[in-house]
Amino acid sequence: MPLSSSFLFKGLSESQLQRITAVAKEIRIQKGQWLFQEGNAADRVYVLKDGAVELLTRVNGEYELPIKIIRSKGGCFGISALVPPYQYSLTSKCAEDSTLLEIQRRDLQKLTQEDSALGCAIMTSIAQHLLGRLKETRQELKIHFKTLFRSMDT
Amino acid sequence: MQQKNEIKLERQNDTILLHIHGDITAHSEPFINEAYKELNDQGTVQKILIQFEEEAYINSGGIAVLIQIIAQTHKNNQQIGITGLSDHFKKIFRMVGTTKFTNTYNRLEDALESMSQDK
Repeated sequence: MPLSSSFLFKGLSESQLQRITAVAKEIRIQKGQWLFQEGNAADRVYVLKDGAVELLTRVNGEYELPIKIIRSKGGCFGISALVPPYQYSLTSKCAEDSTLLEIQRRDLQKLTQEDSALGCAIMTSIAQHLLGRLKETRQELKIHFKTLFRSMDT
Repeated sequence: MQQKNEIKLERQNDTILLHIHGDITAHSEPFINEAYKELNDQGTVQKILIQFEEEAYINSGGIAVLIQIIAQTHKNNQQIGITGLSDHFKKIFRMVGTTKFTNTYNRLEDALESMSQDK
């Protein structure tokens, strides 16, 4: 699976992709296995090769609210590992037996220090992705407000 | 890119079924609201059954959309049921509290039978 199918590495040159591929490690995880927990120190980012991984957030320590399921090859998650304060903002659980590429922050940081254009491209991709997530969260908030105001009408 | 939800309406005696395809997120709101409007345009509807096809994934935004629909049915004195949820989502719906306002059923047949008995 080429890393170029991942939003994080979109638009990178072949040589840049090859350098990232060289530091990526393939891992297999089983259905039900946790990859990382919300609030934990974040030091690695993941790219899905096959399978499915769910991202969740814990509510009042009582239950996990589903945020997203990653099923597409090249789906990327754990990007908190690339942005201070380097803490995972969600919990990740394997929804099906999966194969992932795991990339350590320190390896990616080394590559971006050697190639500032690479770092700039990755940060632009992260910003675009987070803006999309922000837009979706705003939309969700609007739905909750509409429900609340309609219920106050009665 | 966000996919459009395909929603089909079907009448089964006094119950209107909403067959919903695809994952349910905040982006599903216009499609589900449109289907709810279309359903009500068909005349007086007292019983609505939402059927999720292919074990849909429902995230927090999708739950918000469903809460919105459940609140509207409550306001319009309509009965609403849900079927087609995986065990994972049945548990989440219980935890979130939506099951206080709607029944969830394992099978479509069970849902239709149970809802037909309610007056």
